[in-house]
Parts: sequence; structure tokens; C-alpha cells
Amino acid sequence: MRISSLLLSFTLLATGVAHAGTIEMTVNGLVCGFCAQGIEKTLRKNPATQEVLVSLENRLVAVVTKEGADIADADLRKALTDAGYDVKAIERTQHSMDELRSRLNK
Amino acid sequence: MKMLPGRLALSMAFLSSAACVSAVAKPIAFADGTTVMAEYGAGTMTEVQAFYAPTFRYSVGGGHLSLNSDVNDDTRDITYVRFNYLPKRWNFESAQANVFVWGGLGRAHIGETGANELTWHAGGQLDYETRRVYSSLRTDYYDASAFSHRIDTLQLGVAPYEHDYETLAVWFVVQGREYTGDLFNGTEWAALIRFFKHNAWLEAGATREGKLQAMLMFNF
Repeated sequence: MRISSLLLSFTLLATGVAHAGTIEMTVNGLVCGFCAQGIEKTLRKNPATQEVLVSLENRLVAVVTKEGADIADADLRKALTDAGYDVKAIERTQHSMDELRSRLNK
Repeated sequence: MKMLPGRLALSMAFLSSAACVSAVAKPIAFADGTTVMAEYGAGTMTEVQAFYAPTFRYSVGGGHLSLNSDVNDDTRDITYVRFNYLPKRWNFESAQANVFVWGGLGRAHIGETGANELTWHAGGQLDYETRRVYSSLRTDYYDASAFSHRIDTLQLGVAPYEHDYETLAVWFVVQGREYTGDLFNGTEWAALIRFFKHNAWLEAGATREGKLQAMLMFNF
């Protein structure tokens, strides 16, 4: 009984509370604040999005997803393409938004 | 950064060699975005516009343009609806270039006769920008049975530093504007300073004649 409860808890943790991940995208065409504003507005519409960070200097668009949520690469590419920009790379990391900000500020 | 495609570079060089250069805001800000803009052009032209862009490819909206001739007492007040379209965008590593075209219909009030006429207009813009340099060439043509005017504007801008999303962007801009149809003799040159951050854009300066040239724009 105890073991089955533990197994159930583990399974729930593994599936339901996956990770609040960070998706880092390298994007071409980011040259002005209005670009960033449009991208941020688009990505914030996604229910899986918790936070968005755009860095023109680093050609970076980062999305922190909500716990247990994710956004498929195809959806990310479509969102950025529909916003008028070209996605060159997508990487999934565990960096928090604070870590990203401090890295970008160096 | 990738090199500018040859044909585009050639076009930019050709356009830059023309006497009219002007950097004007883009008529399509971003998908699901609204742009509101007001410009005071040294007493010769005053314009307000509002556009909504369902996608980054096109926007619809309208505006009002007042033209006051520097040559005689002619005035035009044109209220219009317009469709803006982005047929081509180039996204480079650290730069972007765009071709915009637009067209619309409206009503023109002709000051010297008091008549009102149907008017149509068409225009286009070619721009190229990085975070340090900016160039834009724009042309607008307005036509009615009583008049035809073309306004060509060239802007060349340099930023003293590379801004980011969270920092204030500052640009030093030189603008040249040519009017046809007895509105202004020669080219109207202006020196401008531009600030923008997040969704707000303010540009102000003076022409060689000391007249105010200013623009205010919001995107949301």
C-alpha cells in the first residue's frame, strides 16, 4: 500500500509537474524596440507562457513556460514567423529569467 | 551580418542618390498592433494617421493630411482611408530591410476654391536599419481633378549607441523632403533628434528655415 502510494506520487510528479523550462530562440531581424514589442505581445498570448525576455543585442527571445507546460518548436517558429521574424535556433534550458538577465547584463 | 542582396543595395544606392530622403515610421508596426501617429511638417504639411495591422503583412486605417503651400495660398485638406502592404522583408542577423506600398481613397477640400473632390493616393517606402544606422525613402502621391502632389521624404539616421528593448533609443536624423505641385520650392531639409522606448516614439527638430518638424507615434 505504502509502495503503491509512493509510486503514484512519483508518477504524478514525473508527468504533471514536469518543469518550468526556458526556451531560448536566436532570431534574425531584431533591430528595434517595436520588433521586441510585437514578439512579446505574440508570445504572451500563448497560455503556456509565463514570462518573455527579448534582447536585441543578443538576438535572443526567451520564453519561460508555466510549470508542466511547453510550447512545441513548430508553434514557436510559426509565432515568430507570423510576427515577421526568422527563427534560426531553438534551445531548451533550465535557466531562470533572473539568470538570463544577469548573463545578458554582463 | 549578411550582405545586403545586390539588387536591394543597388536600389538603395539609386534612391539615396535622388534628392529626396526621409525616414518615416513604418505603416505596419507588428501583427495585431495599432499605430497612431501625428506629424507636423514645418507648416507645409500636418498629418495624423491610425492603422490596425491584423498581421505583419498589412494594415488598414485612415488619416487626415493638411497641406499649406509655401509658394502661394493654396491649401488642401485630405481625409482618407488607406491599405498598407508589406510585399517584402529581409531579416538579417543584425539588420532589417522592408518594402512597403500603400493606396487609398479620400475626400479633398481645396482651400482656394472651397470645392470638395474625391481623391486617391498611392505611395511606398524602402527602409534599411541596424541598431546604429537607419535609412528610409518614402514617396506619397495624391491626385484629384484639381491637383496632383507628390511628397518624397528621405531620412538618414545614426544612433550614438546601440539601444536594447529596455533602454531608450536615441537617433540623430537628417531629413530631406521634396514637394511637387506648387507646395514648396526646392528641398526642405531638417535636422531631427528621435527618441523611442517601448511603444512611444518622439521626433523633433528644425528645418533650415528654423521651422518646427516633429512627429509623435504610439504602437500598442
